Amino acid sequence: MIKHFLKLEWKQFFRASYFQKGLAIKILLVFGAIYFGGSALMLGVGLFFIIKKTFPEADPIIMVNNYLVYWILFELMLRYFMQQLPVMNIKPLMAIPIKRNTVIHYLLGKTTISFFNFISLFLFLPFSVVLLFKGYPVSNVLIWFFALMCIAMSINFLNFLINKSNVVFYGIATVLVALIGLKYFNVYDASEPFGVVFNSLYNQPFLAIIPFSLMIVLYYINFKFIRKGFYLDDAVSKKIKEVNATDLSWMNRFGKVAPFLKNDIKMITRNARPKQVVMMSFLFLFYGLFFFTQKIYIEEMPYLLGFASIFITGGFLLSFGQLVPSWDSEYYKLLMSQNIPYRQYLESKWYLMVFAVIVAFILSTPYLYFGMDIYLIIAAGALFNIGLNTFITLFGGALNRVPIELDTKAKAFSNTNGFNPTQLLIALPKMILPIIIFFIPYHFISFNAGIITLALSGVIGIVFKNFFLNKIEQVYQKGKYKTIAAFSEKK
Amino acid sequence: MISTSNLSKAYNGIKVLNIENLDIPKGQSFGLVGNNGAGKTTYFSLLLDLIQPSTGHIKSKDILVNESEDWKPYTSSFIDESFLIGYLTAEEYFYFIGELRDQNKSDVDALVSQFEDFFHGEILGQKKYLRDLSKGNQKKAGIVAALIGNPEVIILDEPFANLDPTTQIRLKSIIKDLAEKQGVTVLISSHDLMHITDVCERIVVLEKGEIVKDLQTSEATLKELEQHFAG
Repeated sequence: MIKHFLKLEWKQFFRASYFQKGLAIKILLVFGAIYFGGSALMLGVGLFFIIKKTFPEADPIIMVNNYLVYWILFELMLRYFMQQLPVMNIKPLMAIPIKRNTVIHYLLGKTTISFFNFISLFLFLPFSVVLLFKGYPVSNVLIWFFALMCIAMSINFLNFLINKSNVVFYGIATVLVALIGLKYFNVYDASEPFGVVFNSLYNQPFLAIIPFSLMIVLYYINFKFIRKGFYLDDAVSKKIKEVNATDLSWMNRFGKVAPFLKNDIKMITRNARPKQVVMMSFLFLFYGLFFFTQKIYIEEMPYLLGFASIFITGGFLLSFGQLVPSWDSEYYKLLMSQNIPYRQYLESKWYLMVFAVIVAFILSTPYLYFGMDIYLIIAAGALFNIGLNTFITLFGGALNRVPIELDTKAKAFSNTNGFNPTQLLIALPKMILPIIIFFIPYHFISFNAGIITLALSGVIGIVFKNFFLNKIEQVYQKGKYKTIAAFSEKK
Repeated sequence: MISTSNLSKAYNGIKVLNIENLDIPKGQSFGLVGNNGAGKTTYFSLLLDLIQPSTGHIKSKDILVNESEDWKPYTSSFIDESFLIGYLTAEEYFYFIGELRDQNKSDVDALVSQFEDFFHGEILGQKKYLRDLSKGNQKKAGIVAALIGNPEVIILDEPFANLDPTTQIRLKSIIKDLAEKQGVTVLISSHDLMHITDVCERIVVLEKGEIVKDLQTSEATLKELEQHFAG
């Protein structure tokens, strides 16, 4: 039986539309996988030596154990975002004479080879090997490693149970942020007490029975859960929630673009994929922390600050905007045959992005903590985003013809929606342009001149808004038939 | 109203549609029949400028549909589910279409209320997104949305498919009413010969992209069509 399943799986993989796309994408994907796998491997190998070097007195294994709790919470969050139980695939199997239990075992078994489990494997396997080479007791290390893998699997199965609830996600996110915050401000260090737990896993190998049984129990709960819901109207089909019509008539003040704006708001709030994008773009807000906390960027490479500032306010703009016509791919034919001027359609998207940049800018006020200079550069970056980046992004969207399934979450490495080489090419100016615009006056005149130029470039963009929108509209018009054809392709 | 000349569409050198001449006068209820792959949907897509003609052109009220967009204000259509916005409720969808066609809420309400028995209580006030409705109910919503805003041309691709018998009968009277009383030009396609002969004044049979019959509907039409498709 399993043999048949594997055959189906094989065909599904190689016949999937993303796999049959261009060779370039395949190569990029392979590179991506190698890159992530490689980084995890390198980190795994290097971890021991990094810790030894930075904290000469500390024992690396204890150090790792102390911080494991953050990793686990982080992994849970990551999985919540990216990993979904592959339920839909069992629909055709339900009517065929196969034991339900076999299907469920297979389904759950399949999730063990998910990409996310390999992150832990790639990280902790090399670390354990290094430990062994360094003469740590063999049985302790091996069983510790085994326990960690059991924990990874437990997270794997736990995720499917909590995946349906947003509350759990926000709970975990809050706990994680709170723990990091408490530690950062030296209020309370959670690493020690949790470290004790994981250290005893290492010191007392027999305790590995706990994560092991946890994994078994979670597997069993999942099994029960799916078994119970193994009917068409339950787990397999989507839940139909009762909805109430939303009244957005206050938006009518936006005039001709109002119908589209209202529609876009509904699109974002009612579909899984755009919601995911909004959450992601919220994370972009924190991007500046990488740069502003490090003296080296501020003192030696300030031109990179312009780059960082684009991301802080441009998260939504970049991640939503690059897929602009694709968001409407499910009903693109309607839009094309209805009484709609293209121009208004584009303009409403523009307003949406501008609105998002403004919101992000307001939310970025805490960056004042790093000083007025930093805040000004964020403001200049926001202006650049509004004035130029929006148009570049909309223009890039015209070249993007990948349909999106609105109500399906994007999955890591199994969904290349909206990912193509053109997209990468168009992404370049979005990132390099602000660096150049900032760097030239900065280099020849002063820091403030850089900020002013960056801000001015945005203002110029706003002034020439109509010109840009007209040009972009022409590009969209030209590609109309191609876009319609691509969007109506069945996946 | 709609005139087609020398129209052809080819994919990779294979002609899927080839119509030398076809004129549809204003207020006619026009039916298109043919087996799968005969070119019905292709013709409607060309009419809506969703695909590009290989040769020739279609004129709607002397407007070249593939060059100007001026036909859009008085033309409406429902071809398939991609004409629905899945994450809206039926009411929201009607209002959205209404806004695009310069109809305010009460205009839309007034129009939609005429179709209450057509909806059979399964569309309005359902608190469900369109994507969660059954195929048949989705179709009902799509068809009624195509009537919003007093269009002069209405294009419906296989409107009877997926509908229950009661609704099919109601739809027939709606379509007849549109053409006879309101002077709307209605273009429909169907696989159901009975329904289409009931509804349309004129029926054109397509075969492999070519017009093989062009009939004014009469008593004998259904027989003739049945014989044609049986042979």
